[in-house]
Amino acid sequence: MNDQIDKTTEWVCDKCRQALVPQKVKVRYLDGNFEVDLLKCPTCHMVFISDELAMGKMLEVEKGLEDK
Amino acid sequence: MDLDQLLEISNQCIHSEPPVCVASCPVHMDVIAFVSEVEKGNFSGAYKIMESKIPLSRLIGKICERPCEKTCVRSHAGGSIRIGELEKSVITFGYSAPKKPLLLPKNKGNIAIIGGGLSGCVAAIELDKKGYKVTIFEKSNRLGGRLWEYVSNGLEACDIEEELGMIEQKGIEVHYGIEVLEKTLPAYFERYDAIYLGTRTWSKSYVVDPHSFQSENPALFIGGYLQNPNAMTIESASSGKRAAVSIDRYITKASMTASREREGVFETKLHCTTDRVASVESVPLSASTYREDEAAAEASRCLKCQCDACIKACVHMQRFNITPDRYIRSICHNERIVLGNRTANTMINSCTECGLCKAVCPVGIGMADIIHATRESMVKRNKMPLSAHDFALKDMAFSQSDYFSLVRKQPSKEASKDLFYYPMIAFSAYARGLYKGSGKTGYLFYPGCQLSSTHTDYIGSIYKHLVGVIKEKDAMNDVGLFLGCCGAPADWAGRGDLMHDNVEKIRQTWEEEGRPTFILACSSCASTFAKYLPMIQTVSLWEIFDTYGLPEVDIKKGKRELCIHDACATRHDGKIHESIRNIVKTLGYSVQELEYSKEKTKCCGYGGLVACANPEQAEDFAADRIRESDPDVLVYCAMCKDMLVKGNKRAYHILDVIYANETDQSSPQKMPTLSDRQNNRKRLKRQLLKEIWNEEEEGSMDPTYDFTLHISDEITALMEKRFILLGDVEKVVANSLSRQERFFNPKSSDYLARLRIQNVTYWVRYEEAGRDITVKDAYMHRMEVVEG
Repeated sequence: MNDQIDKTTEWVCDKCRQALVPQKVKVRYLDGNFEVDLLKCPTCHMVFISDELAMGKMLEVEKGLEDK
Repeated sequence: MDLDQLLEISNQCIHSEPPVCVASCPVHMDVIAFVSEVEKGNFSGAYKIMESKIPLSRLIGKICERPCEKTCVRSHAGGSIRIGELEKSVITFGYSAPKKPLLLPKNKGNIAIIGGGLSGCVAAIELDKKGYKVTIFEKSNRLGGRLWEYVSNGLEACDIEEELGMIEQKGIEVHYGIEVLEKTLPAYFERYDAIYLGTRTWSKSYVVDPHSFQSENPALFIGGYLQNPNAMTIESASSGKRAAVSIDRYITKASMTASREREGVFETKLHCTTDRVASVESVPLSASTYREDEAAAEASRCLKCQCDACIKACVHMQRFNITPDRYIRSICHNERIVLGNRTANTMINSCTECGLCKAVCPVGIGMADIIHATRESMVKRNKMPLSAHDFALKDMAFSQSDYFSLVRKQPSKEASKDLFYYPMIAFSAYARGLYKGSGKTGYLFYPGCQLSSTHTDYIGSIYKHLVGVIKEKDAMNDVGLFLGCCGAPADWAGRGDLMHDNVEKIRQTWEEEGRPTFILACSSCASTFAKYLPMIQTVSLWEIFDTYGLPEVDIKKGKRELCIHDACATRHDGKIHESIRNIVKTLGYSVQELEYSKEKTKCCGYGGLVACANPEQAEDFAADRIRESDPDVLVYCAMCKDMLVKGNKRAYHILDVIYANETDQSSPQKMPTLSDRQNNRKRLKRQLLKEIWNEEEEGSMDPTYDFTLHISDEITALMEKRFILLGDVEKVVANSLSRQERFFNPKSSDYLARLRIQNVTYWVRYEEAGRDITVKDAYMHRMEVVEG
């Protein structure tokens, strides 16, 4: 999924008022476990997922795992 | 699932069954492929097709007795396709001399051909191709035998010489002027591994197997005139070809009989008719041979006989470009896979299980039961894609929850006494019905979840009408009400576990209420009850209306024509079809019957949860049905209306017509959103409880929020497409406000928040202005992101 992930963004964490930074994040679905670089708040660790990522590559990977 | 049994079914599919012309051709020339090339004007391509099946095709093609034409289906609609004339034309325009043969080592064995007539030459050529060293012994001084009888009668001597000359060029040895006799035969057996006997006469009569052409001497094979003096030239050629196969099998010690059932002329299972075919006469010959354009015109008359009844009828098979035989094989492959992708999942979840394929199949193969069993097997093995049916199953759980689910007896006489004063009793059948309350629930009105979701406001009126008309005639039996879901979504999703629980609950209610007759308003409920609850007596609401009378509504003047889209779940229920038509006619409409109606009706696309698992496929179904319908459509299933209206077709539910609520022709129709549907179910339960049973719900089950959501039509459409409910958006926003778990974009001043609800993470982008929240985007993912 890495090729679709933004390295920077205008979005900031509202609570911590921190700029988001790319970091390795664990994602899992069914039998799949991955580590991917995603933007997250360095303080509260809330992870940012854009519409394009969720409905694009993530959906594709979900469907792929469902057919495994 | 028994996959072997399944494959057995696939073998019965006659889609790949050859047409009768090919089956009646002793060498099985692919007539359809041949005429298709001629039609395109590709004569050399057509010749290649001839050449691949007809031995010595340049000669036989001109003199063949054409058994294919005698059986041609077109003979009943303007005359058989003149295949023989087309072959002549193809030889004229498409023949090209074969490339010089490669002289391959001939080391598989030595074969003697005795008699260089037609069958002998064919056997020699075929064996040479298979890698045998072949020697022909011919009594006269030339090859060809009976072929020479056609000189000046279909063939030119120079052509015969040229064609037969190639035999020696291939490296086949020919000895002329040698007559082999029975007494000299043993010497040949010493020198050759097998012998083919193709002479016109022979002193000894051998017993010959008519399929393998093997004689009682296993190394001796006999064909041609000697084996069958009445054989046509093409049969004689066929015998030489088939004897060559037998000789090869004899020498390689392979089975003489395996997989040869359909060699030569056989009976095909394909029986095409010309019932719906317009008659077109044969193209006359303007000279001795068809010109190219004449041949193409004649070829275009070919019906290209093939069984495709199910494919023609079903946009699902069309979308996946698949036939039942290949479909079943794909399912078997999908079921057997251990590692790798199950590529047929989407296809399996795109069948509406409507049963049309079976209704149109001449051999009765139906995919619905197969798909159902496959989905159950996928669920059991934990291989059913979660996303395919998740939304529908959650919606079903909603219907079964206290938000909607409700069972009530008819309001008692005691509880209804406020209604029993003169004008009410005189003018309201409902009040009279309540007055006659017996306390015994003889009927339970079961409107179903989808009708309640989309045609909410009719349910109370229908209930009152039922109490009125039924009690009028049948004072013993009260009419109760049961709101819930029959479980059809679980059935379609292959969730036998959920189905079992649901059916058990319905059965229990039925027992508790004294085994009443269920009055069903939904065709899916009807088929679910028939399948899983056969002990419960049911009757359709439409039959009740038809027998007991319709609600009294002002019938509008100047009614129009409607076409009826029968619900696929009622395919085999003639009583419902009849009731619907009676009601529509009573209301003053004329009915246009669609080509695919009643037992051959098509699905709207909702069946089998296709609208959930593969929305594009569902749209195909709706579009296909809409193409077929010219006037406005009348339906009697809430989901059919939903699908057709979404496809921009004006459609009325029969209740719209009964209650004279056909909307204004000029205004577009709109169906409730997924969220509206859940809200409508909640509202219906509350309203009915209050209005009919005088019960107030204690405290609302819904959370209340101190913000107001604003959602544009565009975002609503997006949410529909993504199966996101308003309630989910509210939860995300509420969580983000109370816990400040959200992102902020300083440039646009938008907020972006997420919340995991059950197995889905929902995201909402919004603008906040005091308590006003304007939603700008909503999306979701199932993948779980581990924060922290």
